[in-house]
Amino acid sequence: MRGLRLSPGMAPYVLLSPFLLLFAVFGLFPLLFSLYLAFQVWEPTDGLAAMHFVGLDNFRFALGDAWFWKSLRNTVWMALASGIPQHAVAIPLACFLQAAFRQRWRDLMIGAFFLPYITSTVAIAIMFSSLFSTDFGLVNLGLATLHGLPGLSWLTPDHPIDWLGRPENIKPAISLIVFWRYVGFNMVLYLAALQTIPADLYEAAAMDGASHLQQFRHITLPSLRPMIYFAVTLSVIGGLQLFEEPFILTGGRGGSDQAGMSTAIYLYRMAFDFNDFGAASAMSWLLFFMVAGLTWLTNRALRPQGPAQ
Amino acid sequence: MAQVTLSGIRKRYGSVDVIKGIDLQIHEGEFMVFVGPSGCGKSTTLRMIAGLEDITAGDLLIDGVRANQLRPVDRGAAMVFQSYALYPHMTVADNMGFALRMAGVTAAERSAQVGRAAETLRISHLLERYPRELSGGERQRVAIGRAIVRKPKVFLFDEPLSNLDAALRVNMRIELCRLHAELGATMIYVTHDQVEAMTMGSRIAVFNAGGIEQVGAPLALYDRPANEFVAAFLGAPRINLVSQPQADGSAAHRALWTLLADGRPDRVVRVGWRPEHVRVVAADTGIPAQVVLAEHLGDTSILYLRVEGVTELLHAKVAAGGPHLQPGVRIGLSARGDTVIGFDQHGCQVS
Repeated sequence: MRGLRLSPGMAPYVLLSPFLLLFAVFGLFPLLFSLYLAFQVWEPTDGLAAMHFVGLDNFRFALGDAWFWKSLRNTVWMALASGIPQHAVAIPLACFLQAAFRQRWRDLMIGAFFLPYITSTVAIAIMFSSLFSTDFGLVNLGLATLHGLPGLSWLTPDHPIDWLGRPENIKPAISLIVFWRYVGFNMVLYLAALQTIPADLYEAAAMDGASHLQQFRHITLPSLRPMIYFAVTLSVIGGLQLFEEPFILTGGRGGSDQAGMSTAIYLYRMAFDFNDFGAASAMSWLLFFMVAGLTWLTNRALRPQGPAQ
Repeated sequence: MAQVTLSGIRKRYGSVDVIKGIDLQIHEGEFMVFVGPSGCGKSTTLRMIAGLEDITAGDLLIDGVRANQLRPVDRGAAMVFQSYALYPHMTVADNMGFALRMAGVTAAERSAQVGRAAETLRISHLLERYPRELSGGERQRVAIGRAIVRKPKVFLFDEPLSNLDAALRVNMRIELCRLHAELGATMIYVTHDQVEAMTMGSRIAVFNAGGIEQVGAPLALYDRPANEFVAAFLGAPRINLVSQPQADGSAAHRALWTLLADGRPDRVVRVGWRPEHVRVVAADTGIPAQVVLAEHLGDTSILYLRVEGVTELLHAKVAAGGPHLQPGVRIGLSARGDTVIGFDQHGCQVS
């Protein structure tokens, strides 16, 4: 048995090796391979030998491709339309839950708001496609009921809306689902941050004559700033990589007029529908640079100010 | 400057009476100290004056105006918190000027007033810093500065020095007294530290279990406590309380009682004997006692003494005792002057 004993110098590496191995196979290798592919043209059905180097051609193609730009516009549109309300709603909602509920009820509410985040995307997408269904969906049913009420008819449409079929409706519908799914997650983050703000800051502010709204503006928001920075960064990264929700809701093709085609969907189709792995890899790297750039901008805009912590 | 009147102030949380009716008149320009053990209601009372807690019953008058329902800011009170409660994301200047900003004072006027307050507290060089860059003492000054800037009618202090180390605490104590003399403002100061109470207060209110035991000037309270609680709370080491011996009490206990209580009314069942009034004499001349523990502090020595038949150890504070006062040594006790305080069976002072 003595021979099997690990030397102290080796032990860390042996214990780390399962992770390192998995990361190398499923993380590092695809990463480097996609970087390599971005400079190749390759018809995968012809085998590995079919690759040949084309320099920056794939990048040139991607930047000149109208669908690529369209997918970027779609992505940014949906990231903003789902992302901004996420935070604009989550922060006040967290403050409300913090102020209005005792611990046990608050936990229950948190659980309810958090549920969409841990539910399978497929289940969510299927549920919403039935909710948004043109003829039998609950959304249109509700709108029709509202339309029947006196005084509300001018606000609501008089015919069923084709939510997932008409190009102008797809992005709002998808954004709504993404918003619904992540608002609870953000709220939990903000609620956790709220609980770390000392109560006597609010008492001091009350003594200083700050109203509730002024306390929110001058105490709560600045104290939440580090968490806003963190949560918005997650939203930026997540929003730009948007894939599952539009993929399932539009049947994997991006919807009519590609209105719901995010960049992630387009580069997936580029690889697996159009078999152009080189261009898909180039696009994925372009997307990566965009994510990195926007994350950097978020950092610049929202990073906690003042001297180093 | 203002006078603050509390009449019949009560506070109830659910079915628990926390403050059981407080009547107190705080005069204009007075430094009033609320002192008492933790949980006695002194902080709650202060917070009710501030407007941070609702008053269940009774009247709070500030300058003769009923203030029960006024918002904190309209009461004209400023508070210094134990934790300082500085706004961490604002500079010192912004912290101090926040109340003025909320009151709609212009930036120029604000910075002039903050500058003046900073000068008073000698923190002008800190104005651009953030709270986390300051030491405990500096934060304390900023917290006081934030209160001064508003020119309040009443200053409220909630154990402001308890987070400082001993040396700083003494400095800030002196500083606060200087500030009080300079501003001439009414100040209400909550502490559990009897040294702070004795040294700072024009008057002290001793709190216990949701009520006030006694109000008065520090030395008056020390010399003539209304009851055993006040006698025991003020003074360190604690006052010695010696009970009347039973008929079968020890000879030493009876001799001690005769020494302390002779010539007092029959109602007296217990006497208070300050440690500094205990005199140590040769073993065969006074009441026999044995040293259990001796703490030599350099200038004085604190002796813990056992007298046979007396359940509690007696404390004696004597001039630096020299090496012969060691545990186990037998000594004699006698009293220094007629300084013993008599109490009846309810613990009230009998004069």
